[in-house]
Amino acid sequence: METKTESGSTFTAQNHYPSEPEIDKWMNEAFNMAKEALEKGEVPVGCLMVYNSEVVGKGRNEVNESKNATRHAEMVSVDQLLDWCGHRDLDVKSVCERTVLYVTVEPCVMCAAALRLLQVSSVVFGCRNDRFGGCGSVLDVSSADLPQTGTKFQCVSGHRAEEAVEMLKTFYKQENPNAPKPKTRKT
Amino acid sequence: MEPQVKRLKGSLYDSDSWTALPVLSDDQSQDIQLVQAYAAPIVNKRETSRLVRELNLRYPLAGLQHIKRVRACKEKGSPHPLEVLVCLVSQVPDSKDATTDSLFSSEGVRPDGLGELFVVQVPSRPPLTRPQFELASKHWPTSFHEDKQVTVALKGELFSSAQKANMHGHMMSAVAAARAAQELGMEAVGAVVVDSATQRVVAVGHDCRRDHPLHHAVMVCIDLVARSQGGGCYSFDKYPECRFTAPESSHDDRVCDSNTGSQPYICTGYDLYVTREPCIMCAMALVHSRIGCLFYGTSSADGALGTKFKIHSLKDLNHRFEVYRGVLRSQCEDLNRNRKDLEN
Ligand SMILES: [Zn+2]
Ligand SMILES: [Zn+2]
Repeated sequence: METKTESGSTFTAQNHYPSEPEIDKWMNEAFNMAKEALEKGEVPVGCLMVYNSEVVGKGRNEVNESKNATRHAEMVSVDQLLDWCGHRDLDVKSVCERTVLYVTVEPCVMCAAALRLLQVSSVVFGCRNDRFGGCGSVLDVSSADLPQTGTKFQCVSGHRAEEAVEMLKTFYKQENPNAPKPKTRKT
Repeated sequence: MEPQVKRLKGSLYDSDSWTALPVLSDDQSQDIQLVQAYAAPIVNKRETSRLVRELNLRYPLAGLQHIKRVRACKEKGSPHPLEVLVCLVSQVPDSKDATTDSLFSSEGVRPDGLGELFVVQVPSRPPLTRPQFELASKHWPTSFHEDKQVTVALKGELFSSAQKANMHGHMMSAVAAARAAQELGMEAVGAVVVDSATQRVVAVGHDCRRDHPLHHAVMVCIDLVARSQGGGCYSFDKYPECRFTAPESSHDDRVCDSNTGSQPYICTGYDLYVTREPCIMCAMALVHSRIGCLFYGTSSADGALGTKFKIHSLKDLNHRFEVYRGVLRSQCEDLNRNRKDLEN
């Protein structure tokens, strides 16, 4: 099995530990979102928020379209979740506490903090994010001691990680072929 | 004769009431670290250059290039004028009974001209700031490549009074925005984005958490800046204190940077003033947006630009920026105090 639980602790029943078939199913949708981002010239990251087996938020990176550098897939999904709660007059906190976020790449430091603030229960992600990762790669926001910043959340990582990395590589290659990146340049 | 200007505390011109201090990286702000070493007096001064040459070969000070091998003797009237650093204690296998002779028994160094060995503490890292240099020098002399700007900034003297007047005005706008948020029952936090070259105000925003739990003042400002450039995702039109101004000309030199590629690094060349230290989400949002420089009034419990983290100085991240705290500190503290009063 390629999926592993981070930070040593196990999921409790109320954290809604996602089953392997659930992970397969929702991550597949997240990957479809990431592909859509790639086609639109955005960093290929796709994300899904699932509450009670229902998709309540869905997003992909839309930084370029919005000219807002914070429009990561997670932030887009969160907006949908908030609308979903608003339309049903549900309390955001109690929904988030029972929501799992699926995302193709480890949430960045900003998104990890946002998920803490919303008190999302757990996060399933594909590959690590060495540049910005907030669930262990650059900082471990998910488990840091930050009493004023929501609650810690659990991470499950590694699902289709190679595929997620390949998509990122494809994007960075086509984004700026003339950029002086000596390591990848082939002339 | 200079006209006497009557100054009221907190008035627009009272920029003497606060000091902006830099929030430096951990490396720059931590206490100096020390490591134990052996030193010995040089009783025969003429042997100095030979001793240094031989010691450098026999006991090279790896990773301690900042340490000066020889120092002038501290005590006045000392029989020997110089002392030499022999080696680190950790370089000696059996350090319990090390003597001058045992350290030099091996070939390579003649102990001629050396006195009795003694233990000293030497700084293990090169000092990065003048306070670190002054502390380090009390233990053993080191070299110091001074960053003059940091030295001046640590004294609170980096900004001219004209600059401080500008900063004062911008933070006053942030405080006003914070009060507006407070009156609407939201967190008393306000922020202002300024073009650092022209001092033009690009956006003013405040906390809007009632509508959206992640709409902290900084996040609101980032979206307002995006709107000023034809993007953006939200409307804050119902809040008159949240506003933006579009660039004066359609040709904005600032964003025409060939290195930025297709990424909209929308805050390049912009400074942000915010009444209290941003949380980790907001701090990282500013990294993503390539903010130029950040000023805040007061620290916050989980703050990510000095208190819990120093996101602006992380070497792993691809953008770093300068942060100064203490701008209009007391007015910004008052905002937090009012909030606590309301909660109680
Ligand atoms: Zn993110
Ligand atoms: Zn924040």
